[in-house]
Amino acid sequence: MVPQARTAERKAAASAPTTLRSAESVPSVERFERIVDDYQRRLYGFALRMTGNREDAEEIVQDAFVRAFRALGKMTEEQRTELRLQPWLYTITLNVTRNRLRSKRPTNVALDALADPDALLNNTQEGPEQPEQIVERGTDLALVEQALLQLPMHLRAAATLRFIEGRSHPEIAEILNQPIGTVKSHVHRAVRILRRILGPQVGRIAPTEEPANAV
Amino acid sequence: MRCSDVEAFWDEMREGGEPRSEHVLAHLRRCRTCQEAFEQCEGVAYCLNCLPVVEPPKSLVPRILEHIASMRTRTRGPAGTDDVARINSPLGDLIVAWRPSGITFVGLVRGGDADAARERVERRLRRPLRDAAPPQWVVDAVDRFFKTWQVDMARVDISGLSDFEQAALRKAAQIPPGEVRSYGWIAREIGHPLAARAVGQAMARNPVALLFPCHRVVDASGALHNYGYGIEVKARLLRMEGYLKSGG
Repeated sequence: MVPQARTAERKAAASAPTTLRSAESVPSVERFERIVDDYQRRLYGFALRMTGNREDAEEIVQDAFVRAFRALGKMTEEQRTELRLQPWLYTITLNVTRNRLRSKRPTNVALDALADPDALLNNTQEGPEQPEQIVERGTDLALVEQALLQLPMHLRAAATLRFIEGRSHPEIAEILNQPIGTVKSHVHRAVRILRRILGPQVGRIAPTEEPANAV
Repeated sequence: MRCSDVEAFWDEMREGGEPRSEHVLAHLRRCRTCQEAFEQCEGVAYCLNCLPVVEPPKSLVPRILEHIASMRTRTRGPAGTDDVARINSPLGDLIVAWRPSGITFVGLVRGGDADAARERVERRLRRPLRDAAPPQWVVDAVDRFFKTWQVDMARVDISGLSDFEQAALRKAAQIPPGEVRSYGWIAREIGHPLAARAVGQAMARNPVALLFPCHRVVDASGALHNYGYGIEVKARLLRMEGYLKSGG
């Protein structure tokens, strides 16, 4: 059983906020419950992919909303009208994530993995593929999860926003507050490293058809 | 177009609208290596896209909303001016503010900059301060704390805080000297069992340090967690109160 890609679903869920705003849709502390409701799933998913840890993700999302609530309370009506809520919330979540991971542990892991991607591959069992077995599929996806966590934080953020959250280059540039060129190069570097780490696995999980735009 | 250039176009080609895509495709038709590289990149993107969407736990939203609610009820606080002075203590110089209704601020003076400390107090209380000589009842309340680790609640005024913050601090004040409790314990005791993190924040914003003993509130695991004046000061205080053994 081949796992189904979810970009379409994610994009549909992500497109709720629009640029046209009625008075009710200007973000405000009075209607903050609505914002929490609208964005908690997405921010949780993002924090989870960034940390690989559910407990961390929960606390990060909670802290991010508290920060957003405080910041909104200090904004003028005009600032709130101009605010691009979704990228702003991603940015806050990423900042909280960074602070938390920085204070939690040094990132020796990432460097080790870059030096020796084989170490990760050696943990996987060789042998005939049983693609029908869901267990096997679970193992492969766990490997992908692990590989993502091996990336240095800035590359992980770029790859997560691009391929898991399905954000465009300009959106990522806004979230990370970086030039688009930097975003593209980070995405590219992340993919290169993931290819090295996942090498043989990529073929196993990827669909058998040729990618549409490859040839 | 060279191989080293081609790979960089992969992600942009997925987006469409890349003006050089014809050149890239022409190269790909000729170059098996780049074709494979593109396929692998596509495989990586596909793998990432396949990672399951994990639902947050049901308790997440209520917990966030409870935290937000605890911040909403913050009141403006009384108007007027508080008096302020520096008072010597076994822990070093304290900056203490008070009104006739009670002590409104206690903090450690870190470093020598008296003006900076005073400004921090003003910002925290959102009221102007006036330098004054501390009346005897203020000096006594501070003395009493360092002698008995107890505080007369009638001598402290936190009416400027939100109901939630006041409840959390009052509960903290019931922790006997020489003992500690967790953030979660306070949350449960004041009837907001989901609000442990909000309790943490209320402790962090405690304007009357020492007298409201937020230093007696620790992690569920017993770790000291954090303290506005540094975790060393928290440990030192707990040692002085008899909770931690010296060196512990």
